[in-house]
Amino acid sequence: MNSKEKILSALRRNTRETYEMPDLGALQGITFDDPVAQFVQKTTTTAGARLVEVHDGDDLNALIRQAYPEAHIFASNIPGIQADMNPDTVGDVRELMRVDVGIIEGRIGVAENACIWIPQAMREKAICFASECLVILLRRSQIVSNMHEAYALIQQSDEYFRQYPFGTFISGPSKTADIESALVYGAQAARGVTVCLID
Amino acid sequence: MSTIHAKRAEEYLHDEAVALRHDATFFGVRQKRDRMAQALPEWEQLRDAASQIKKHTVTHLADYLEQFAANAEGHGVHVHWAQDADEYNAIVYDILSSHNVKKVVKSKSMLTEECHLNEHLEAKGIDVVETDLGERILQLMKLAPSHIVMPALHVHREEIGDCFREKGLMENLKSQDNPTQVPSDPNDPTFLTFVARLHLREQFAQADAGMTGANFGVAETGDVVVCTNEGNADMSTSIPRLHIVSMGIEKLIPDLRSLAVFQRLLARCGTGQETTVYTSHFRGPRPGGEMHIVLVDNGRSSILADPEHWQTLKCMRCGACMNTCPVYRRSAGYSYTYFIPGPIGINLGMLRDAKRYADNVSACSLCMSCDNVCPVQVDLSTQIYRWRQRLDGLGRANAMKKLMSRGMTILFNHPALYTTTLRFSPAANWLPSALMNSALNPWARGHLMMKFPKKSFHQLWKELEKESRNQ
Repeated sequence: MNSKEKILSALRRNTRETYEMPDLGALQGITFDDPVAQFVQKTTTTAGARLVEVHDGDDLNALIRQAYPEAHIFASNIPGIQADMNPDTVGDVRELMRVDVGIIEGRIGVAENACIWIPQAMREKAICFASECLVILLRRSQIVSNMHEAYALIQQSDEYFRQYPFGTFISGPSKTADIESALVYGAQAARGVTVCLID
Repeated sequence: MSTIHAKRAEEYLHDEAVALRHDATFFGVRQKRDRMAQALPEWEQLRDAASQIKKHTVTHLADYLEQFAANAEGHGVHVHWAQDADEYNAIVYDILSSHNVKKVVKSKSMLTEECHLNEHLEAKGIDVVETDLGERILQLMKLAPSHIVMPALHVHREEIGDCFREKGLMENLKSQDNPTQVPSDPNDPTFLTFVARLHLREQFAQADAGMTGANFGVAETGDVVVCTNEGNADMSTSIPRLHIVSMGIEKLIPDLRSLAVFQRLLARCGTGQETTVYTSHFRGPRPGGEMHIVLVDNGRSSILADPEHWQTLKCMRCGACMNTCPVYRRSAGYSYTYFIPGPIGINLGMLRDAKRYADNVSACSLCMSCDNVCPVQVDLSTQIYRWRQRLDGLGRANAMKKLMSRGMTILFNHPALYTTTLRFSPAANWLPSALMNSALNPWARGHLMMKFPKKSFHQLWKELEKESRNQ
C-alpha cells in the first residue's frame, strides 16, 4: 500500500459513529434593507478603503487619475481603461511590482464585510496584490448582503475559474497589526484601495 | 512538584508590566470577538452549523479526501500524501530540489511548525523566508511563535527595531527613489512595517517558489482557500511560479456552501474582524506555473479513533480559545511545552505524546470560557479534565495531590473522623502566620491562607434547625 491508501484505510478503520450533513437551508444570514449603503459604510470604515461613486457620463479614467494624482505607472487589461502596463502581456511578472495603480474588476460586493469577489481575469494576478494601490470597479447591482449569498452566486456560475483557476475576495488594503497590535495599512500587498461603484 | 507550565508562568509573572500588557492585549481581541458575535443574530446558528459540518466531514474524511484529490488533480494540481512529518519534509524537499529552488517564500502554516519543515530545508541549504510579518520578526530573532494567529505580539517594538537595524533591513530605505526618513520614534510600528514591506517584497521578487498553508480545502471543487490580512500568501504565489500547499487532512470541508459558514466565523473569532482582507481560492496552477498539494496525516487519523478526543479534529486554528483563556493570557505562549499553546494546544499536545506534554494540563482553571467561544464547539475544557483523570495512568500525577486525595478519601468516608477534624480545624488559625503562609503550604501561594471559621456549616445548619423547631 502507498501512503495515500494507508491514510485512507486508517481513516476508514478509525471512523466510529458517523454524522449527517446539517441542513444549511435553515441558516439565514444577516440581510440589510439597503445593502449598497451598508457596503459603502463597511468599505470606508472597517475595510479602510476609499469609495468613488461613478455615474453615467462620468469619465472613469479622469476619476482614477484624480484619485491618484502622484501615480506614474497605471496597469490594467480592462478595455477602455488607460494604462501603461498590461498584466496580460507583461514580460517579467516582477515588472508589476513597480505599478503605482492597478485597475481591476470585481464581480460581487458583500455588504456585511466589504469583501469584493475578484475572479482572475488577467494572465498575471500579481496586479491584484503587488500594485502599490488598487482600484476595483464594481457595479452597484452586484452587491449582496452576506457571504452565503456570495458563495451561492459563485457556486451557480460557470464563468469563474474557467479562464484562470483563481479567485479572491479582497476587503480593503493589505494590513497588519503584528507589531504591538498597532493597525498599519500597507503590509506586503496594496497599500491603498479605491472602490469605484458604477451604476 | 509544580508542572513546567506552572514554573514558567511564575517566572513570567515576575515582570508585572509585561504580564499585564499581554493579558490586556489578548483580552482586547476577545472583546472584539464578542462585538462581532453580538452583531449577528444568527451567531449561534453559525456555530451549530460549523460544528455539525465538521463532525460530518471528519467522519466521512476518506471519501471527501478522495473527492478533493480527484478534483484538484483534474485541474492539473500534483497531489501528494504524507503519513508523517518525515515523509512530508521529504516530499517538499524533493519538489524544491527537483526545481532547483534556492529560496522559498512562505506564508504562515502551523503544519510546517508541527513538522519542523524550515529546519529540514535549511539543513539542506534552502533559504526559507517567512513572509507573515509576525513570523518574519520571530524568524529573524530566532524565536518560536507564542500564539497561532498573532505569533509575535509578545515582542516589543524596541526589540523589533533593534533586530531590523542589526539585520540590515534599513538598507532598503536607501535604495528607494524617494528615500523615507527615519521618524522621530525609530520604532514606530508604521515605520517598521514599511521597512519590513520593502524587505519582504525584495524576498518575493528573488524567490523561486512560494509555500502556503490552507485554511480550508473544498472537496466539491478542489479549491485550496487561504486567508490573510497582509496579502503575503498571495504575493508568495503571484511572483514565483511554483506553489506548494501544505494541508492537514482535517482542513477539508464539503462544499462552497459550507465555506460561507467558516469564512464568516474564522476572522470574527480569531481577530475580531468581519473578514480577513484576502480570502483566496486556488483551483489550479498559474499560467506557466506548477501547483502541488501535500496532504498530511501525522497522527490525525489516529485521533479519529479516540472516542474522548476525536472532536479536536474540528478545530480550524482561529486562536479564540487562547485569547479568552485566563491562564494563557497570564502565562503567555512560552510557558507551554507544546508548540501550540492555550486550550487547543494542551489537547493537541496530549494527543501528540501524552507523557511528554502532560505538564500543560495544569494550565486550565476549568472556567470553560474556551468551550463557549470556540466557533466549532470543541469541548476543550472537558477534554482537559479527562486528560487530568488519566494522569495517574501515565505516571504523571502530582504526588502531593495524590496524597491529599487519599487523605480526603479516608476523611470523607468516615463521618466521625470528619466531624472531629472539622471541630479542631479553627486551631489552625492560631498557628503563626510565618508557618501557615510559608512556601511549604501550596494553599497559601499568591494569597494568604484562609481563616477557618469558628463554626462549621454543619454546626450552623444544626443550630438553625433547632431554632426553627423551637419557634
